[in-house]
Parts: sequence; C-alpha cells; structure tokens
Amino acid sequence: MFATKRLSKELLKMQDHVPPGISIVKSDNLEEWHMDIQVLDSNPLYQNQIYRLKFTFNSKYPIEPPEVQFIELPSTSETPRPIPIHPHIYSNGIICLDLLSSAGWSPVQTVESVCMSIQSMLTANSRNERPPGDSDFVSYNRRRPRDINFYYDDDDV
Amino acid sequence: MNFEELCAMEAAYDRDEIVDLRSLDYVSSYDDHLMCPICHCPFIRPVRLQCDHVFCQKCLNSAITSCAGGRDEFTCPSCRSPTRDLYLHVPRLLINMCDDIRVKCPFSAEGCTEIIPRGHVQSHVEKYCGYRLVHCPSLVCDKKTRKKDLNADKRCMHELHQCSRCEEEVMEQDYEEHVQELCPSLKTTCPDCHTTVFRKALREHIETCPEAIHCCAASKYGCPVKVKRAELSTHEKSCPLITMGPYFEAQNSRLDSMELTVRHLQQRNELFEDGLAGIRSTLLESTRAMTGRTVTDPGPSNPPDDSSQADSANAASSNATTYLLSLHESLREEVGQLSHAVTDLDARASMAIMNECLRIKEDMAHTNAAVGSIRMQVQWLMNPRLHQQPQRAGMRNGNGNSESAAAGSSSAGPSGPSPGLLRPRRLSDGGREGTKL
Repeated sequence: MFATKRLSKELLKMQDHVPPGISIVKSDNLEEWHMDIQVLDSNPLYQNQIYRLKFTFNSKYPIEPPEVQFIELPSTSETPRPIPIHPHIYSNGIICLDLLSSAGWSPVQTVESVCMSIQSMLTANSRNERPPGDSDFVSYNRRRPRDINFYYDDDDV
Repeated sequence: MNFEELCAMEAAYDRDEIVDLRSLDYVSSYDDHLMCPICHCPFIRPVRLQCDHVFCQKCLNSAITSCAGGRDEFTCPSCRSPTRDLYLHVPRLLINMCDDIRVKCPFSAEGCTEIIPRGHVQSHVEKYCGYRLVHCPSLVCDKKTRKKDLNADKRCMHELHQCSRCEEEVMEQDYEEHVQELCPSLKTTCPDCHTTVFRKALREHIETCPEAIHCCAASKYGCPVKVKRAELSTHEKSCPLITMGPYFEAQNSRLDSMELTVRHLQQRNELFEDGLAGIRSTLLESTRAMTGRTVTDPGPSNPPDDSSQADSANAASSNATTYLLSLHESLREEVGQLSHAVTDLDARASMAIMNECLRIKEDMAHTNAAVGSIRMQVQWLMNPRLHQQPQRAGMRNGNGNSESAAAGSSSAGPSGPSPGLLRPRRLSDGGREGTKL
C-alpha cells in the first residue's frame, strides 16, 4: 500500500519531467519498471549507447531498496540494449553499488535518483573492464541481487 | 525525545486515526519542499531531526525500525548524519501550509463532492460528511450504509422490497430513488414528438419517432440539412450530394489504398537507406584501414605502437594513448627514484669527506705538536754549539776569514768548504729524520 502510493506519485512526477538521458520504458504495473539510461558526456566507453535498467520493487519500498540490474536485449532486436562494461557491473547485469544494498539505501532515494547515480557511475569510469572474477560469478551465481553480499571496497567510482 | 518514545507515540496515533491522509486525493498541487522525502506526501505530523531535516512521524518510524544497525546507528535518511534525538517541535508555518492543501473528501466515490483543506478532513468525515459509510444499525445485517441514509428510528435499510410496478427487488434505502426516477415502468414523454411512452420503450421510440431531427445521409460530404425523419426522404431525393455519394465512396477507397502503398514504400525506402548507410560505413572503414597500411609500410623502422595507432580506429587509438600515458607514468616514477638515489649518494659522500677531513686535521695537529717539540729539542741541542761557535769564529778571525762566519750563522750557504759549515747541516738533517718518525 505504502509502496504503490509512493510509486504512483513518483510516476506522476516523472511523466511530467525526467532528467536528460533517462526515460521510462515500462511502468504499467507498480512492481517492475524498465528504464532506459544514457551517458550524456563524451565518455568513449559509453558514447551513443542506451542501456536498460530493470527495477523490481517489493511492498516495503521505499523503506527497503528496489532490486536494480541491467538487462540485455540482443543486438539483433529493434532496440539493442547491451550491458555496459564497468568494473562494478557484472556481465549478467548485476550492479555492485552500495546505494542499492540495504545498508547503503536510504528511503529518500527515488527511481530517478538511482538512475542518476548509475548514470554518474558510468560517466566517471574510464576502465574498460569487468569486475574481477566476473566469469565465475556469472556462471555460478543463481542468487538474486538482494541476497548477495558485496564488499564495497572501492570508494572512488 | 528519543526513538523509543517515538515508536510508542506512533502506535497510539495509529489507533485513533480514521482517515489515512496519505491515500487522499490531493486536488491542489503542492510545493516539493512540503513533501516528505520518504512518502512524497505533504508532511503528516512532521518531526525534526538534529540535522534539521523533517519527515513524517510514521515514515521516520518505519525507517528507524528497518535500519540495519538498529536504533543506535540510525542516520538521517537525507544527509546520513548520525542522529539520536528528534524534536516534535517544527515551525507552525510548515504545519499550517501542509494542512491548508486542498483534498477531496475520502468518500468522493460514494458521492461526496466536498473539497476541503486537509486539516479539516478528520472533522469533516467525523461530523459532517453524509456519505461516510457506517455499519448498519441492525445487528443481523453486515452491510454498510451511508450516514445520511440512516433514519431516525435506526432500522436496517437493506431489506429488499418489490417494486409494485416493475416487479424488481430493490433495497429499502434505494426504493425512493427507484420509484421516482429509475423504475422502467414509469411513463415519460418523448423530447421530440411529446407523446408519452414507457421509460423502457423510450430508446426504441426515439429511433422510429417521425418528429426526431435527423441529418441528411450525405452530411459527411458536407450537406448541412437537418430535418425531421418524416421529411428526410423527400430531401434525399433532391439532395445533389446524395447522388454524388457513390463517386465519393470510390474516391475515398482509392485514396486509402494509395496511402497504404505509400506507407509500404516508405518502409522499404527506410530499409534501403539503412543498408546503404551500412555499406558506406564498411567502405569507409576499409579505406581507412588501407590508408593506415600505406602510411606504415614505407617506414618499417617506426616503433611498433606508432604503426598500431595508424592501423586501428578510435578505440585502438585511445588504447595506445592510455598505454603511452602509463609508460609516461612509469618513466616518471623511475626518474623520481633515481633522483632520490642521487641525493642519497651525495649526502653520503659529503659525510665521508667531512670525516676524512676531520681525521687529517687531527693528524696535522699531532704532527705540528711533534714538530714543535722537536724544534725545542733541536734548539736545546744547538744552544751549546752556538755558544762554542763564537769561540771558534774568534779563533778563525785570526786567519782573517770573515765570510765563513756569516755563512755558518745562516747555515744555508752550500758554498763554503769550511768544516764549521757541515755540522749545523747534519744537525738539521737529523731533525728532519725525527719528524718523519
């Protein structure tokens, strides 16, 4: 109840105005939203690319964080959406960002602010690499993002 | 006030609240600053933290109870500054502004049209709203009834009554309305021909009523005529647009099919353009690769990263730049290390030199002292000889050789073959041997 009210208010506001580089793709139910984000400056790693984020909300949002990850649409589809290369983004789309953990989350955050955080995380990156142990993690991980304990060791990205 | 007291207070509030202010329909738009950052509603019973951030009491409470580190580690959701105390005292202005926002009555679905300031919703619902649903006064009935429908003697209004005319079963609370307005057996008058018909037959009647105003069949082609149904057929016989009708129809269908083909062609055109762009880009790439190769071919002595830079496109060039940058960085580091080593060596050398100097100085002082003492000894040894010499000189003066006396006293002249000269020289030689020891 709390979550749906808050989400419908956020949706109303975002339909009115979204920050540049962010757009709503799917928000027809109040449990899963899809957003497209784009890096606006001329970072050669992400230039002219659009990435798709999937938000999954539970009934305790915004007290509890939403699950956020990148999803991939194959390059043959009408709207190709790759997974961005970043030392904190696994190639299955899972993002290691302390903002999205229950310890780093704050109920003040919104879908919009999360998108903007991820946008700036991409903007600030210059390393063309996946996180260490990416292939192992991707092939063995069957857990959902919220059940994974990340160590947030890198403070400068 | 601390967090435990807040939780207790929140529980007490929850019990005696009828209207959920968060689910109200806010009519007027409100400023973002009046909005609780957690629930995005205008503040409801705002509280303030030490850092001056304001939240709804309920929102803050749920944020605290879900805080992973417990109450002791709770930080302000907005600024993350650790906080232990909160204040119920917020500016009256803030509360007033939030309470002044207009909302719809929560029973607007039941028919209440009131729009009231939010601060008055509670009292409106409690005392004035006639559409508020209350439990039916009858104990056996579990339905709800609108407050205004309650009658004085508190009977249940949900018993079914049969309408005497249409034989439909209607609840008592709706009976009056049914009888006066909705019952299909009621008679009504046609708005066009003013004949009286049954309500349930009205729709059929309007479709056939000869008095009803109808448009000409050619109205979509621009015929402005509106006449009664009875006169319509005479008009249609003379209407020029009706005769044109079939022709217009044919034209319309042709236009439609043309539009369809145009759309098809546009799509195909787009496909072709895409293909062309693809071909152009591949061509461009291949020419670029060719030119890159011709540039590198004449100069095989070029360093390897030069040729790779020319070969590849932007991605590779950025790679080369980063490589060069890293090379530069490592060289800089090496230079730094070298300069360090040099200064270290310098310091060490100067230290060694200084040590050596000190030692030599000391040695020299020793030597000086030895020389001084030996001089004293020589002086002492020479003294008796010097006393003897004037006597001998006195003897030689008898020979008339004054020159040898002068040379003997100076002890420098090698010229004199006199025996008196040899003695002091030997003495001085012995002194020199002493210093060497």
